[in-house]
Amino acid sequence: MSSKPRLLLAFLLAVLLASLLASIFQTQTNLAALQALGAPMPLDVRVGTTCLDLLGFAPTFALLSTLGFLIALPLANWLARRMPPLRWLIFVLAGAAAIWTALALANALAPMPTLIAADRSPFGTLGLMACGSVGALLFGLLGRQVRYRTQPTSSDSL
Amino acid sequence: MLRSTRALMLGALFVSTPLLAQDYRVEIFSEGLENPWAVAFLPDGRMLVTERVGRLRIIEADGSVDPEPVAGLPEAFIAAQAGLMEVALDPDYSDNRWLYLTYAHGSLEANNTRLARARLVDDELHDFEVLFTAQPLKAGAAHYGGRIAFLADKTLVLTLGDGFDWREQAQNPANHLGKIVRLNRDGSVPQDNPLVGQEGAAPEIYSLGHRNVQGIFYDAEHNRLYSHEHGPRGGDELNLIEAGNNYGWPLATFGIDYTGARVSPYTELPGLTSPLLHWTPSVAPSSLTLYRGERFPEWQGDLFAATLAERSVRRIRVRDGMLAGEEILFEELGERIRDVRSGPDGALYLLTDNPEGRLLRVVPSE
Repeated sequence: MSSKPRLLLAFLLAVLLASLLASIFQTQTNLAALQALGAPMPLDVRVGTTCLDLLGFAPTFALLSTLGFLIALPLANWLARRMPPLRWLIFVLAGAAAIWTALALANALAPMPTLIAADRSPFGTLGLMACGSVGALLFGLLGRQVRYRTQPTSSDSL
Repeated sequence: MLRSTRALMLGALFVSTPLLAQDYRVEIFSEGLENPWAVAFLPDGRMLVTERVGRLRIIEADGSVDPEPVAGLPEAFIAAQAGLMEVALDPDYSDNRWLYLTYAHGSLEANNTRLARARLVDDELHDFEVLFTAQPLKAGAAHYGGRIAFLADKTLVLTLGDGFDWREQAQNPANHLGKIVRLNRDGSVPQDNPLVGQEGAAPEIYSLGHRNVQGIFYDAEHNRLYSHEHGPRGGDELNLIEAGNNYGWPLATFGIDYTGARVSPYTELPGLTSPLLHWTPSVAPSSLTLYRGERFPEWQGDLFAATLAERSVRRIRVRDGMLAGEEILFEELGERIRDVRSGPDGALYLLTDNPEGRLLRVVPSE
């Protein structure tokens, strides 16, 4: 596969992974808050709610992370090529910054104070940013393979 | 299975109830009101209307708006949903001339709902007193509640909101977020409030577990206190309020977050009072009244809930104390309805929610 489709696939997989993780994180933090208020939380309820959020909430987060990643990931790729020793740190920070920016933008534009429930606390915001970091790391991993495969080798030039 | 059967039977009852179109006419009574929020009827035939931007206006008996707003109002915090909200007359207004106002107080970083009263003398407010400020102050400009009703003993119930970001606090009896509170008319706490004497509980609390209660009506004839509240996406509720009850938000709800996330896996739990009905998808109920006029005999004793999102008024039939179906009225106006009141002349009055808001009067067409 040539580099552009592979990069696009890497981007989509990064969005998908970040959104799935963020959805699971959103569900578990919310259920923990309800449990602290005294609500029973057996495993079947926990699993069922997680699945419903994957269908209902993950698409919303996918939209937000796509917006953030569209700027952050190409920029991180470019920086990583110039600073190979910092490659993984760059992707971790880029993913986190992308989600933080997308959340801040959403909160500024939405009529409610905080759009995503998990984003109401510093712990929750950091958790969502960490999901973005994992997604960005996946993009960095797949992007590195693209670079290795598309660079001409010494044997090619002979 | 039993629940499903019961729901089907209830649904069939609602569907089979004939929805008769009323023969009404909607008149423009007053115009030029900036996001009007509440209307109250003075004994002399005039009316008071609050504008969310912080003005209290006098409407003459012929519908003309006094160009000068009532002087003496406090400065409200005005942003998004925040501003001047309710106006209500004291049950003994003819004797004491007290009127009650609610408004958002504070700044964007620290604000909440405040209740105050003042006497209306020569179209100015005098003897202004702050009676109550919901605690804690919180950031943002959403979910203030702000409606008032008076109970049979002339105590006052005030609806509040959870501030949007603090939904779990609706279950915390130590503060006023997501509560309905009951006060004496001088702001003191009635000693028979349900949580008085309970360690760590706010004594003003009358009921808890609410999201954003923007409608409340006390039916003196049947000694029932009805309220409605906004759900998130779905889960708007009509509740029968009883002292000390917990109405469940956010532990049990028919609504989900605007993001599509679940607020709770539960629609009911032991110890939580379920709504009389819920509106899913949301209609955004903004005001509640009960019709006791004589000009629409068919409407006698029915509840009317104004809606913002549906741009209508929901007529909720009440027969022998039971809900007996709904009718959607005034959709043809296409306007967000902020307030609905049963006027002393038997007409139904509506306030439309926009910068060029109007006071509309609904009368029989003949």
